[in-house]
Amino acid sequence: MTTLWDTTGSAVVKELAAQRRTGGAVMSGVALTLVVVADEGRVAEAEEAATAAAEVHPCRLLVVIRRQIDAPMPRLDAEVLIGGRLGPGEAVVMRMYGRLGLHAESVVLPLLAADAPVVTWWHERPPARIATDALGVIANRRVTDCSMAEDPLEALRVRAEDYAPGDTDLTWTRSTPWRATLASTLDSVAGRRGGAVRVLGGQVEGDPANATAQLIAGWLSARCGCRISVVPSTRTPASSGVDGVVLQLDEDEELRLQDDRKGSAVITQPYRPDAVVALPDQSLGELIGEELRRLDSDEPYSEALETATGVAGLSEHPAGREHVWFDPMRPADAGTPAPTVPADSEGTDEVAEAGEDDDAADDPAASPDEQAVPR
Amino acid sequence: MTTNPLRDPRDRRLPRVPEPCALVVFGITGDLARKKLLPAVYDLANRGLLPTNFALLGFARRDWGDVEFAELARAAAREHARTPWREEVWERLANSVRFVQGSFDDDTAFDELAGNLAELEGSHGIGGNAAFYLSIPPAMFPVVLKQMQRTGMADSTPDRWRRVVVEKPFGTDLPSSRELNELVDSVFSADDVFRIDHYLGKETVQNLLALRFANTLFEPIWNGHHVDSVQITMAEDVGIGGRAGFYDQTGAARDVLQNHLLQLLALTAMEEPVEFSAEEIRTEKLKVLRAVSAPSDMATFAVRGQYEQGWLAGQRARGYRQEDGVDPDSTTETYAAVRLGVETRRWAGVPFYVRTGKRLPRRVTEIALSFRRAPHLPFAPTDTEELGHNQLVIRVQPDEGVTLKFGSKVPGSVMEVRDVAMDFLYGEQFTEASPEAYERLLLDVLLGDATLFPRNAEVEASWAVIDPLEQFWADTEPHPYRAGEWGPRAAEEMLAAEGRQWRRP
Repeated sequence: MTTLWDTTGSAVVKELAAQRRTGGAVMSGVALTLVVVADEGRVAEAEEAATAAAEVHPCRLLVVIRRQIDAPMPRLDAEVLIGGRLGPGEAVVMRMYGRLGLHAESVVLPLLAADAPVVTWWHERPPARIATDALGVIANRRVTDCSMAEDPLEALRVRAEDYAPGDTDLTWTRSTPWRATLASTLDSVAGRRGGAVRVLGGQVEGDPANATAQLIAGWLSARCGCRISVVPSTRTPASSGVDGVVLQLDEDEELRLQDDRKGSAVITQPYRPDAVVALPDQSLGELIGEELRRLDSDEPYSEALETATGVAGLSEHPAGREHVWFDPMRPADAGTPAPTVPADSEGTDEVAEAGEDDDAADDPAASPDEQAVPR
Repeated sequence: MTTNPLRDPRDRRLPRVPEPCALVVFGITGDLARKKLLPAVYDLANRGLLPTNFALLGFARRDWGDVEFAELARAAAREHARTPWREEVWERLANSVRFVQGSFDDDTAFDELAGNLAELEGSHGIGGNAAFYLSIPPAMFPVVLKQMQRTGMADSTPDRWRRVVVEKPFGTDLPSSRELNELVDSVFSADDVFRIDHYLGKETVQNLLALRFANTLFEPIWNGHHVDSVQITMAEDVGIGGRAGFYDQTGAARDVLQNHLLQLLALTAMEEPVEFSAEEIRTEKLKVLRAVSAPSDMATFAVRGQYEQGWLAGQRARGYRQEDGVDPDSTTETYAAVRLGVETRRWAGVPFYVRTGKRLPRRVTEIALSFRRAPHLPFAPTDTEELGHNQLVIRVQPDEGVTLKFGSKVPGSVMEVRDVAMDFLYGEQFTEASPEAYERLLLDVLLGDATLFPRNAEVEASWAVIDPLEQFWADTEPHPYRAGEWGPRAAEEMLAAEGRQWRRP
């Protein structure tokens, strides 16, 4: 591990290459780059989760912490680790101070694993518009977490309006155990009947202010073609925000799934004794691991999001985003072109100033009048 | 139209979960059940992959009650489970665990089992579906199968499925395997029989199909025009452990070559299946197995060996004949190496060298394709002296992954080309988080997905390859080799006879 204080992006690239050479074949087979954007207060949590996910999906891990946007001098501190605290792969933790935070991609771009997909995960309040964060624009898949917002439902609506294929949210990932249980329960009803099942209605009992509960209700509504909403439960629901789900089926049957507060759900259905299935609480690392398993766009999510928030037309949103300049210190200027580096600014990066081309002296054609002399 | 509105093919986060069912294990107190099956059941439950209504029935001779059995099962699952232990998951599972005591020829015990199953149908809502796992010696199969036939437990009806899982060995030669297949197929219908070859449950073996049929890079060179030879190795560093009685009857060829190695060979050599389905993959594998030819000069190209005492990993190891329970004059082989051919247009003329052995220097299983040398090298002969054959190696275990070996210039002022290796390695954790072979195969049985299970015709075709070898070996002494070396000299000579040598895995 090496820590570089007050450094430059090129120095980080060089240090990573140097460590890879001296560290030996620590790990080969990088499948993707995971960019983690985190608040200083949540770094430890994010690092732990990203490490757990990296152990399952070999990736290069880049942690970006933006601090003190208003600091007068931009500054970069970086920690380069290979096969250390952050798992078996290559990892760089970068703290960016001052205006550098608004140009984080200038440091991150040269660090991305070549031609591998990029996943950006915000372990902080999700950005209102992903297009304003260049770290989201460069990503193939973008993972936000609406549960980190003060008003998760409003955050979810913002996600729907800002949606582009390849977006996903951890509040959706948290719904997987419930959704899997619901789907397999309907499977067993269909198996028993030997024919189709129709869902005529139902409700999700839990916390109506919980984004996961709303997404489950949205998913059920979208799949079943009937309105299923979240109603307050009598008990305070567990962290998933759902305490139980009731579905009215055709043939006058009713299904009931109830969280038993012991990591399981009790399934009550006609013609069958009650059954209990695992409904494990997933750690943040497991959630990120699930997100990294598939990197294509998630249509069931967009449909659930559409139904849960009432924002229509998500499937028509174009894939990919253009970067939009946004300065948090001058919010009114949103949409104006990004400022260029002033002519009188003092450069601190030798490479940024002089470039890192192949040595001109190696190329006789570049200097026809001069003898090529090694410097 | 789909029968379940919540199922969406695009929604790939939702796992495949079997229908409500019961798993009945015969020989539940055995090693395999304790070390593999029970932990696999727990792991499946822990991952949420077991159906909502599930029951586990154990059948064995021991005089136990449900409570004692649950305690043994708990200890076994806890010791060998791969996922973190969660007491509540086990408790829930334990509620649906039953034990039936009895011997296999005991009619009342089987009546009790059938009764238990019928009772669970109601009380646990398993819907009549059941998989029977025969974790018992093959000699017991006829008795158990007859009992299942008598009690009607084996009949699949449109309302319910009944499946049977059979472990290797599937017979000891072609006639006995035919007999066994006929017996099993007379009780269960062929589609309901699942023969476990746990190698096929391994992630890398499945990746071999992805590597071959999802890429454009390898297919054009995957034939006799470009491939010089193929080596398939399954080496173990352990001896025979406590299996002396079984092993001395069986030997390396029947224990490993007939099933694991020939299955790996089939997956390596088969044509592209029409689609990735059980039926199509098995059809292609069967075609290859039927095209496998034994060497005509068996004295040179079919070598078997037996380990003598030696040193392995810094410890003294006993010779095979000195192992407990082994006949001191035993001629059973612990090593077998054979040059096989695959008589198809794609592979004619390409030797497939397969070998397996115990007490070899390390535990490793791999498939190595060695490519032909370039027809012309523009370099001076001295420049390429150290250039070997290009190789593509699929490492099945350990260090699951793929290696590509090719020539590269040695840095320096002279042109010198030497072999280098490029590695793709699955992360250590990747292989841990991915399901264990038994877990995957058990799940497939309950789902009724037969892709990873060999069909009876494949088993018979494999025996047809092994039988002539066994006949040739019958009156010969195995070549001795020291524990801790890569097999007998005769095996080295076998490749040297064709100007090749074994790869050191």
